[in-house]
Amino acid sequence: MSTTQTHAPKPAKRIKPTTWAAIGFAAPLIIYMLVFYVSPLVQNISMSLHRYTRRTFVTGEAPWTGLDVYKEVVSTPEFWTTLRQTLIFVVLSIVFQYSIGLALAVFFNQNFKLSAGLRGAFLVPWLLPPMISGTIWQWMMDADSGLVNNLLGVFGLDPVWWLQADKSLWAVIIANIWLGIPFNLVILYSGLQNINGDLYEAASLDGCNAWQRFWKITFPLLKPVTMITLLLGFVYTLRTVDIIWIMTKGTGTSRTLATWAYEMAFGKGTSATIKYSEASVVGTILILVALAFALIYLWAQGKEEER
Amino acid sequence: MQHRSTWWKTAIGIVLTLIMLFPVYWMINISFTQRRSIRSGDLVPMDFTLDNYTAAFNSQLPYLGTSLIIALGCVIVTLLIALPSSYALAILHIKGRKTLNFLLIVAQMIPAVVMALGFYQIFSDLNLLDTLPGLIVADSTIAVPFAVMLLTGFMTGMPRSLIEAAQIDGASQWTVFTRIVIPLSRNTIVTTSLFSFLWAWSDFMFASTLDSGGGKMRPITMGIYDFIGSQNQEWGPMMATAVLASVPTALLLIVAQKYVAAGVTAGAIKD
Amino acid sequence: MTNSTSRRALAFVVAAAAVMSLAACGGSSSAKDDKTIEFWDPYPQKTADSSWQAFVEKCAPDGYTVKRVGYAQSDLLNNLTTAVKANNAPEIALIDNPKMPTAVDAGLVTDIKAAGVDVSGYDENIEGPGIVDGVQYGVSYGSNALGLYYNPTVLQKAGVDPASITDWDSLNAAIEKVVNAGFKGITFAGISGEEGTFQFLPWFWGAGGKLADASGSTAEQDALDLVSGWVQKGWAPKSVATDNQSAAWDLFLTGEYGFSENGSWQAESAAQEGYEMIPIPGKDGGVAPVPTGGEFITIPTQKNMSDEKLAATVKVIECLVDGDNLKSLNDEMVYLAAKSDVRAEQVKENEVWKPWVKIVESASGRTTDVGLKYEDISAQLSEDLQAALNKA
Repeated sequence: MSTTQTHAPKPAKRIKPTTWAAIGFAAPLIIYMLVFYVSPLVQNISMSLHRYTRRTFVTGEAPWTGLDVYKEVVSTPEFWTTLRQTLIFVVLSIVFQYSIGLALAVFFNQNFKLSAGLRGAFLVPWLLPPMISGTIWQWMMDADSGLVNNLLGVFGLDPVWWLQADKSLWAVIIANIWLGIPFNLVILYSGLQNINGDLYEAASLDGCNAWQRFWKITFPLLKPVTMITLLLGFVYTLRTVDIIWIMTKGTGTSRTLATWAYEMAFGKGTSATIKYSEASVVGTILILVALAFALIYLWAQGKEEER
Repeated sequence: MQHRSTWWKTAIGIVLTLIMLFPVYWMINISFTQRRSIRSGDLVPMDFTLDNYTAAFNSQLPYLGTSLIIALGCVIVTLLIALPSSYALAILHIKGRKTLNFLLIVAQMIPAVVMALGFYQIFSDLNLLDTLPGLIVADSTIAVPFAVMLLTGFMTGMPRSLIEAAQIDGASQWTVFTRIVIPLSRNTIVTTSLFSFLWAWSDFMFASTLDSGGGKMRPITMGIYDFIGSQNQEWGPMMATAVLASVPTALLLIVAQKYVAAGVTAGAIKD
Repeated sequence: MTNSTSRRALAFVVAAAAVMSLAACGGSSSAKDDKTIEFWDPYPQKTADSSWQAFVEKCAPDGYTVKRVGYAQSDLLNNLTTAVKANNAPEIALIDNPKMPTAVDAGLVTDIKAAGVDVSGYDENIEGPGIVDGVQYGVSYGSNALGLYYNPTVLQKAGVDPASITDWDSLNAAIEKVVNAGFKGITFAGISGEEGTFQFLPWFWGAGGKLADASGSTAEQDALDLVSGWVQKGWAPKSVATDNQSAAWDLFLTGEYGFSENGSWQAESAAQEGYEMIPIPGKDGGVAPVPTGGEFITIPTQKNMSDEKLAATVKVIECLVDGDNLKSLNDEMVYLAAKSDVRAEQVKENEVWKPWVKIVESASGRTTDVGLKYEDISAQLSEDLQAALNKA
């Protein structure tokens, strides 16, 4: 594998003892990644370059197609619609998950009575199997008798047909924000915990109010944690299938690249026909999108380290 | 910081938590409701029944135990892989760490479907299908990249003076790792453990592909499927099972969270 | 990376994991031996201590054991695909009838008659989907069917006589009366995918539609107008576009609705609640044909199965559908048997079945005429249905 060669030591150079130690410490991970990720990755790419159907998958006689399947997928109008929906889903989910998560983390960081217990309780939604939480959201957003509409009614607002094809994207975004808040809260909270309390004391003495303290101390110091939270949030949101699938089966505007790949790979959408190759193409495109984001992250991280 | 009266913060905290946990409450509500009323939308179980719990208790308890073993096993595997490598990446500055970081991100993007199909073939050859160790290892692939990235992130920010001081004293890398780096990372270790626990706990994709024939040795996410027939879904017992599954783990989480809050900052900074 | 290195490395990691994960608790090994007959069905709701499990296990010939595994209906064929590819297929698998041409096309199942299973005496309309290009790949032991359930209490209060419902117009009139009396109209499953198509077909066929020429036909338009009209007029809940059949039944169980299109598998539940059923009417009268529903018992493709084991497998299958067992099997699944004499016995024993017999006998296999093309036809119908139901 080319990837291992790039960071394997060059035989000509002398290797320092610390380097050996580093390799030793990193060895489990390197082996682990080679074993568990390389072969699925290669398989994914290989499937996208052959024409796999259920039959050719079994017989192993899928014909080589080169980039044909890529061209087919990209040239369908569905692809661009789905890409647009995916971006809306990801961006809105992350913006709200992060900002709500951060606000809650700052709030819970004040160590009031019961704060630890309540913060722990925020993780409970993650204990529900997706099957359950997705269904509950589907019921709550029911057009005729759902609780969300009942609540809107209390404020005199008209009921919304949340799961209708052209609104379902908003419905799944709301449910996904709910699902993402605990993750953001926990990571940002542990980031806050690592900030030296003395800095706040000093700032207090300087006469900074809470708002100024947040923007001048907390937010800048939280930058590395923020970056990693956003990166991971991006990756996880991009590959979200469960909650969307259970609420709407990825119909209408709620179809994202991930649910599209899922329905094609398993034949679970409107069509029962399995399209392994098309699914792999979409899967590969997802990986490329994540790569682009990863490059931005690494670039930002590099800049951070230079300072 | 001086202790001012903070009851109003507690009050706001409770309100926020209640909003967040409303769907959880709904699950509990439905778990006590007879089938004919689950879609009536009553705020409390008007059509009260305990039958769902009887059904859940009678068939689901073994799966709970299995899930617990799998989730804890996954935490251990994740930490065994992630801790030393994060040390290598963050403290020892191993060459090619950017490449590794990059690959970790890619690794997380491989569609779960593809991972599951790949594992099936390998596991089938190794006779690991329908076994707990097999499923534990598979589940850990969700958590390991995350754990490495998070741990690396936090270890990078660790005060280097402590480590350098120890090295001057002649401590080996292993000693630095176990005596200084691990204790200082306790907070992050708990966080990563929580998530790897939760991911393994809620995994369905791997379980359904790799452990369908596991009988009682299947996780609770599969056990719940026992209430899904081809044309009929028994939501009452499913919700009851989900309640049974989440109550003990919820307590565990809250305790773990308390533990994090209690001492870590003090430990990290005062030394 | 060579295969053997990757395996050794994997074995190492796995061994480490195994030690860590409380070796004492271990795992159940799936290593297959010559004396185990693996049996897959889409009935995960039948747990290990169910009478179904006992029924299947009792069919093991001397010296053999049957290992039963239940998969969710939607996962079974995919799992079978992977298993056949890995040469790890079960000896017996129960496949949903509309998936049969797909399974045959992918080479997942084998000629069951050639294996030695007696396939005579079953109803043609039920066995249709299992016969592809003249070769029979499975035995269907029975079928469920769709009917139009109604809530007599609601209908009475609304002044509707169920006997008056003979065609679409009289059905619409009845629903309107129910709604005007302050109740809700009708629930059905319009969910995307095969389940929604399954429920749509009686309306489509009832309007004279033919699968070979489905999309864009007048019959399709008439049927779409009918069901989407219910939503637009507020007679059916807006959630039909995402409701599956179980959800449609949950809504009907609230007692607020007059009608529900649902399956014979709800007959017992309906009897408990006092609900009754009429056949789904055709557009201009008569009984609309409904699709057959149920599974085919198949022998999946194995690279090397000994004749001895194949004989044992055949014995298990014959045991499942032999004599009295065919009735027990159908009773267990709440299906009507694929043999008329057994159906007669079922009716004699349980009155609930009476109105269903006629429906099952006039039911059509979804894939019988169009074969593998059904996948595309069904997908198109499903998309058209979704579009119609989502119109505000």
